[in-house]
Amino acid sequence: MRARRVNVPGLVVIAGLAAVWEMAVRSGAIEFDYLPAPSAIVGGGWALIASGDLFVEAAHTLYAVWLGWMLAVAIGSGLGLLLGLSSAARTYLQASLELLRPLPAIAFLPVALLIFNFSLTTELVVIVYAATWPVFMNTMGGVMAVASRLHDVARTLRLTRAQAVANIVLPAALPAIVVGCRLSLGLSLVMAIIAEMLGNPHGLGHAIMSELQAMQPERMFAYVIIVGILAIVLNAGLRRVGAYLLRGHPPEVAEHV
Amino acid sequence: MRGHGRGSENVFECRGLGLEIPHRGTTRTIVKDLSLDVRRGEFFSIVGASGTGKTSLVRLLGGLMRATCGSLVCHGVTVDGPPPDVVVVFQDYSRALLQWRCVAANVALGLEGRVSAGETERRVTEALQLVGLDGHGRDYPWQLSGGMQQRVQIARALALRPQVLLMDEPFAALDAMTKASLQDEMLRIHDRTGASFVFITHDIEEAIYLGDRVAVLGGPPGQIYTTVPIDLPRPREQVATRQMPTFLAYRAQIHAAIGDARSG
Repeated sequence: MRARRVNVPGLVVIAGLAAVWEMAVRSGAIEFDYLPAPSAIVGGGWALIASGDLFVEAAHTLYAVWLGWMLAVAIGSGLGLLLGLSSAARTYLQASLELLRPLPAIAFLPVALLIFNFSLTTELVVIVYAATWPVFMNTMGGVMAVASRLHDVARTLRLTRAQAVANIVLPAALPAIVVGCRLSLGLSLVMAIIAEMLGNPHGLGHAIMSELQAMQPERMFAYVIIVGILAIVLNAGLRRVGAYLLRGHPPEVAEHV
Repeated sequence: MRGHGRGSENVFECRGLGLEIPHRGTTRTIVKDLSLDVRRGEFFSIVGASGTGKTSLVRLLGGLMRATCGSLVCHGVTVDGPPPDVVVVFQDYSRALLQWRCVAANVALGLEGRVSAGETERRVTEALQLVGLDGHGRDYPWQLSGGMQQRVQIARALALRPQVLLMDEPFAALDAMTKASLQDEMLRIHDRTGASFVFITHDIEEAIYLGDRVAVLGGPPGQIYTTVPIDLPRPREQVATRQMPTFLAYRAQIHAAIGDARSG
């Protein structure tokens, strides 16, 4: 990935929009009982930092996202590889997977709640269920799209099946797998927040709901903004990891991931 | 290294080879009753118009495809999967190379897990020298020209020290100048390694310039129409050899044979 310069005009627009919002609230041009000005939100955020609440809640959410995402990547890439490589596995398993895939993960939340109660496990079930699909679909698609010429090469060089998978199929499918992992990470955060709002009384999602019930819009907005920042940071971090994994791939492949 | 006393042995012996593939409820005959011998150490060119089953023949010889009838023997053993010491070089070099691996790692692909690291390094260096790519080991294929990428693929095959190289129109996608220099490299490599070459092409002059013998493939379905021994002095030379009256006579003869093979 190329080093990107700071986009000054873009930042100016963001600052301008915040200023307009600030002025609109202060001048009374827009008036809602619970719409704070940006400055009030910064104050709310500061209070959360000072009390340490922010770190506790963010740490929980990050932990759940990280664990759920790792499980999703393991399950999704494992299943994707299996179905991508084996037509027998596709024959037996693809129907079941196609049946499960359209079910919205959030519909599982009550089921998970019933079985696992208000807990991290419930949260993880929802995250893993949702986040597995992008990894699975991209891995399977990536493996199946490996050019038949590369399979010919593996055969004429008389590579073993394991060598062909490790040295040719996986690296050739890696750009697609990385795309799946990135989609899945974004989804993991969304599902974690939803699960925390409804199923697990911890983390940023729960914090947003608590501040709502406590009628603390400044703090609520601060938490929402933190979730947004987390999403940006996680995505940027994974882009770096992806660029590292795909070093050596032609630039037009590596850049579109 | 050439002609080490076993020149009369055949590396390939095909008898009555046939290939039929199912096509929309019927079967389509791609290769029919094809017989040929490839002698040890020779440069065997196969020339044919498009649609005569050239690529299918390479895939059969390389063990990438199974014949539906007839017998195919390589080094005295019936071919059932890619035979040992035989490597195929494909036409589409950019798809046949691992674009994410540097040149040296591409050339090492067939050696991994077979020979020691030191031996791998020696063989990679040697193979890159043979194709004139020394100093490019750390480049990536996508940084190289088409001709250089095809050299990488040839080096990857040579690193296995094969007894037979099967080349499927390897220079068809290259410009005339690159093609000429690669042809001369093939002759040099053939001379230095003593390997047998089976070289498939649609270019009559290329087939004659390189070959000890030229087989004319007719069809469809693919069948050897005739085989012409090429009695031109070696080493061959791009300008002088191609101007020889014998060269021109071979060209006329094979040109006519291709025409006959099509109508017959």
